[in-house]
Amino acid sequence: MKILLIEDDRENADYVADGLREEGHLVAQVASGAEGLICAMGNGFDLLIVDRMIPGLDGLNLVKSLRAAGNHTPVLFLTALGGVEDRVSGLNAGGDDYLIKPFAFSELVARVAALGRRPHATVAETRLHVLDLELDLLSRTVRRHGKLIELQPREFQLLEYLMRHAGQVVTRTMLLEHVWDIHFDPHTNVVETHISRLRTKVDKGFAAELIHTVRGAGYCVRGPA
Amino acid sequence: MFAALPRILRTSSFRLTLLCIGSFGASVLILFGVMYWAASVYMSNSLDAAVDSDITELADVLQVGGDAALEALVKERVRQTPHGPMFYLLQDAKGEVVAGNLLPVRGGEGRFELKVRNSDAPHVTAHAHSIALPDGGYLTVAVDSFPRNKMRKLILWVFGCSAATSLLLAFGGGALMSVNLLRRIETISRAARDIMAGDFSRRIPNRGTGDEFDHLVASLNAMLARNEVAIESVRQVSNDIAHDLRTPLTRLRQRLELAQRQARSVEEWRRAAQGCISDMDAILETFGGLLRIAQIESGVPTRRFTKVDLSELLRSVIEVYQPMAEEKEQRLTADIASGLIVWGDRELLTQMVANVIENAMKHSPSGASIGLATSTSPTMIAVAVSDSGPGIPAEERVHVFRRFYRLERSRSTPGSGLGLSLVEAIAALHLAGIELTDNGPGLCVTLRFHAPDQPPPARYCLAKSQQEARPLPASSSQCRPDTTEGERSGPV
Repeated sequence: MKILLIEDDRENADYVADGLREEGHLVAQVASGAEGLICAMGNGFDLLIVDRMIPGLDGLNLVKSLRAAGNHTPVLFLTALGGVEDRVSGLNAGGDDYLIKPFAFSELVARVAALGRRPHATVAETRLHVLDLELDLLSRTVRRHGKLIELQPREFQLLEYLMRHAGQVVTRTMLLEHVWDIHFDPHTNVVETHISRLRTKVDKGFAAELIHTVRGAGYCVRGPA
Repeated sequence: MFAALPRILRTSSFRLTLLCIGSFGASVLILFGVMYWAASVYMSNSLDAAVDSDITELADVLQVGGDAALEALVKERVRQTPHGPMFYLLQDAKGEVVAGNLLPVRGGEGRFELKVRNSDAPHVTAHAHSIALPDGGYLTVAVDSFPRNKMRKLILWVFGCSAATSLLLAFGGGALMSVNLLRRIETISRAARDIMAGDFSRRIPNRGTGDEFDHLVASLNAMLARNEVAIESVRQVSNDIAHDLRTPLTRLRQRLELAQRQARSVEEWRRAAQGCISDMDAILETFGGLLRIAQIESGVPTRRFTKVDLSELLRSVIEVYQPMAEEKEQRLTADIASGLIVWGDRELLTQMVANVIENAMKHSPSGASIGLATSTSPTMIAVAVSDSGPGIPAEERVHVFRRFYRLERSRSTPGSGLGLSLVEAIAALHLAGIELTDNGPGLCVTLRFHAPDQPPPARYCLAKSQQEARPLPASSSQCRPDTTEGERSGPV
């Protein structure tokens, strides 16, 4: 994926850029808002990672200008401003996701992947497949190997989110945000519990495990490697 | 130029007094003017009438008896009343005085004022009327105008005296009022200076008269109390950070040192790094919690408040924690009324309820049951979370909202010790009352919200300070979200 990183803190920028390059992405770095805006407008990037507080044009206005100009490249805000207010304003300005410093690198990688896979033009999918697992969004039913699996509404949402990001790592916080709309970190293992229940229903009694735990990062739905 | 005036003359109340004196004085002046004019006219008219009736009488005598009769009558009248109040003058065609006690006049017909200068009435002002006689002479009758002049003088005198008295009183009153105001304002600014000098607990003394100044002072004191709480919370956050983050940071440092000394293989290094990262995460979490509490306590996000469907919020929180409770073999039950609406921030409310439930689950053994129940009254909505765990001793209940406060026995359970502080901060922001009661056995945490049609954000400061001052009731009754009690003991 071609990523533009707009971040003025050199050390942090290098750390993020190097890490993403190791993941196989192409990363360009700029250190000021104005420069960032020009680059973002010109070259077909797949994703912009934007710091909120950068010299020249701040991140928020950069994204606003970009959106006003009709550019819809996905934007991930990477920032130390972590208040509810800050997140809301960031997303309202046209950001697609928000990650607060300090962050776990695996979290960044997962979110970058999720944003990259996000279809630019939303094609209405009605069925999601992973191996022999099939989720029908219209009838809201789940079948595995043709056999109907009973899921609670929240479990269905959880599985849907995982399957939409099939093959990618999805972190705990991403699940909390998108499935439960919880934007704080409950200290208890809420997600783990729900995943294990889902796993019991989806994987138990079948040959291949589909819901995998990725240590230190999150969860991933995929067929056996 | 104002700077040179004594301070009292520069007060707004004194200027107001001057303005009042000015406008009131002008109206009184007009009133007196009209009175003066009306009285003069009335008196002049009555003098005219007296003179005219005499003239008519004399004219009649002239007509009947001729010049000689008139002359005799005039002489007779003069003899009868040498000192007035009536004076007479009969002049022939040449202007020579025929009879009478007035000096000759050369004015012809008409009314005029004259001075009587004869030996009998040397200094009398008189109101005169002359008519022409058929023989070309003039008959003049005058009446002493003393009553009219006396009345005019009286009016002027009364006016002068009353004006002087009211001016004196008004100035005096204005000065007194200004001194009084100055003194009260001085009290306020003295308190303000003390507070600026760092005495944050200083309050402005109240006179208790219930006047507008007392209201102002009460508001200012409430503001000061609120500010003191805010300053205190900032101070406490710095203290907390200094003291309570020191422990985990020390542990992190020790771990790193240990790794440096003892780690031999890559695997050992990797494990050490992993340990450091989780230590660091715990520190960051604590740090984030502190920041969040401080942010909430500063009261900033109230403008994001909306009407929140509390019933739906509670159900979704219960749904989140249900599987966990099952895993811990605890029973999590909920009795939630539908359509409960509160005024607030959805995210913060979710976190508050989640923290309370988490707290109950964490401190209850497996097999315990945890219940959430709602109840309503016209003005309040109560949410009670009760557990059958070990509970909190009554004397410790006041302290559990303190940051990092943990009961001795729960030192070993995981947690930052910030959960209930956060709950309290969010509750205070939402003007919700929070109450800990004995569930016999166990603990019951009751949150009391105001019904949404009466969001009283202006009373935030009072609610906060009173809530802190109010000891938490240590009721031993079975835990029920009793809303009637809440109206009494909730923040007012």
